Amino acid sequence: MNIEITTTVESIEQAKQLLEKGIDTLYFGEETYGLRLPTSFSRTEQQELVELAHSYGKKATIAVNGIMHPDKMATISEYLDFLAQIKVDAITVGDPGVIYLLNKGDYPYSFIYDGHTLVTNARQVNFWAKKGAVGAVIAREVPYEELKAMSSHLDVWGEILVYGATCIHQSKRPLVRNFFSFIQAEESVGKERDLFISEPKKPETHYSIYEDTHGTHIFADNDLNLMGQLDKLVESQFTHWKLDGLYTPGDNFVAIADCFIQARQLIGEGKWTTEQMNRLNEQIEVLHPKGRGLDTGFFLMDPDEVK
Amino acid sequence: MTTKQLKRPEVLAPAGTLEKLKTAIHYGADAVYIGGDAYGLRSRAGNFSFEDMAEGVAFAKEHNAKVYVAANMVTHEGDEQGSGEFFRTLRDIGINAVIVSDPALIEICALEAPGLPIHLSTQASATNYETLEFWKNEGLERVVLAREVSMEEVRAIRAHTDIEIEAFIHGAMCISYSGRCTLSNHMSKRDANRGGCSQSCRWKYDLFDMPMADTRRSLLTSGEVEEEDFSMSAVDMAMIEHIPDLIEAGVDSFKIEGRMKSIHYVSTVANVYKAAVDSYMADPDNYVCKQEWLDELWKVAQRELSTGFYYQTPSEEEQLFGPRRKIPVYKFVGEVLAYDDTTGLATIRQRNHFSVGDEVEFYGPGFRHFHQPVTEMIDDKGVSIERAPHPMMVLTMPVISPVEPGDMIRKKK
Repeated sequence: MNIEITTTVESIEQAKQLLEKGIDTLYFGEETYGLRLPTSFSRTEQQELVELAHSYGKKATIAVNGIMHPDKMATISEYLDFLAQIKVDAITVGDPGVIYLLNKGDYPYSFIYDGHTLVTNARQVNFWAKKGAVGAVIAREVPYEELKAMSSHLDVWGEILVYGATCIHQSKRPLVRNFFSFIQAEESVGKERDLFISEPKKPETHYSIYEDTHGTHIFADNDLNLMGQLDKLVESQFTHWKLDGLYTPGDNFVAIADCFIQARQLIGEGKWTTEQMNRLNEQIEVLHPKGRGLDTGFFLMDPDEVK
Repeated sequence: MTTKQLKRPEVLAPAGTLEKLKTAIHYGADAVYIGGDAYGLRSRAGNFSFEDMAEGVAFAKEHNAKVYVAANMVTHEGDEQGSGEFFRTLRDIGINAVIVSDPALIEICALEAPGLPIHLSTQASATNYETLEFWKNEGLERVVLAREVSMEEVRAIRAHTDIEIEAFIHGAMCISYSGRCTLSNHMSKRDANRGGCSQSCRWKYDLFDMPMADTRRSLLTSGEVEEEDFSMSAVDMAMIEHIPDLIEAGVDSFKIEGRMKSIHYVSTVANVYKAAVDSYMADPDNYVCKQEWLDELWKVAQRELSTGFYYQTPSEEEQLFGPRRKIPVYKFVGEVLAYDDTTGLATIRQRNHFSVGDEVEFYGPGFRHFHQPVTEMIDDKGVSIERAPHPMMVLTMPVISPVEPGDMIRKKK
């Protein structure tokens, strides 16, 4: 059993550290086409990152998973060609229009279907596999009980987010900018502003919110950490794991990735124990940004709990 | 004379129940969309049994109208079971198309119910012509565009594909890209993509930052205006003033939102858009949007109205911040069951309380309408009454203009 670990990247320096630690795939891109990335890299940087990954014998996957309006589609062919030139290994795609272009052209890389909230059933994944997808990113709203049921029906692998922020809303509307305009406040609305919303009468909740050229993004109350659930993932053959560092910067993200790499090692050697799991979990809790929570999201939920 | 090659668009109305289906068609809808007992997104709308569907289809056929079934849930593992039979039954009942977004259901429908046309739901957020071509190649008949597509983008899409295009023209809007929102799942444990949406986007939130990690600082006021809660809630859409743009851009079907809405709403909105489309198609060069159509739509409006993303990205003006601007509110008070031309008496079924002395408005298909005071009411025992307090009670009253069965009566609140 081969566990593959994919991580986002915020800088060339961080990419080096992640590769040194032993991750398998660097995941990055540019904001125009990719969704919710820690950094929007220039073309030169993207080329450098691909070469870096390859120099370690590892892979580079590029985020091309936005909902594309005609203005983006007008320029995307040139970008898809560029990605071929720099020899990326795969791209993520969430818009069938991009799949239409991929299937019309002759691109040397594969694609992973990433429709976010829309990937909740093995038959959906298999549909995209028939259109050429080599894998699919599974929605965060799929509990483990459903993952188990999915597993035996999947024709290609399903990727699971094991660590990081979960996007739960994407609006094309500039929701935060509109609000600040209404209250006549001069405020920035980007990710770096680190804004939150909380539910009515639940001041303890803290959903991250920001805007970019794709619109407004809102994230789950707590970030996801499935360190304690890895044995279940392995048992049900979900062995493509992603770590998202959108809200976990710098060395801490590398150290958290290292925890998962250690876990993979221990699982592979048959040495995965509750003690080891607790040890790594504690490390993650220390490394996780202050003010942000961690939980297992929908993973342990009874499927019937969601109406 | 115009040289434009124009195709008459279909006016597509929502129908939560059999009564609404008949009303919508009676009031001019060329097609209606309904929900079945399964696979839909409106668990609280009155969904149709197969028997109701069959009756609805028969009624629609008689009136040269179509019936589509929304089966636009995003299935989780196992939800798709039985869908093949479901689609086959719809096909055999004579449903004209199903509206689907989930590729698992699309595939099952295509394989197991061949001959049943498939429309891609707006849940799939189609925003470019390549996406439309993708689904055309999969055998789909029509794509419902994402509500985020601008008029210019509609034109660009139409220029590159000949698949049918359906676009929302009236009603409430999802704040997110449809399907890309699980606020309800996370905040209410109700699956937004499986019919349980709790409309969390319309709630009132605190907006804050945490400069010191543990301490939060609310940002609900800048000191310039009164404190305001953060909300994503937006005004509704009304494209009545832009019918020529929509037709000339090549939209094949004009979709009205609202399977949960009343027959008062459905009849009024279908009536207005049908009148506007008829008027434009009859004489495009001299078409003008009539004030009475706008007035009519305001009578059933639940929020203020805007044009969504068609002409610009919605600003704070199109969000529901601040005190609500007052909109006229009308109450649906009765429907006409019969009319006696010799006596000028209409037989009415009461749908809401009204009294002698009230100023009421009668309206009917083909945009007939007139106002009059209620001068007299006679109950089913022939007794003169001052008030009609009982739900569904039948009464007669004199009317100043001829009316027809199916005409409706409303009163300003």
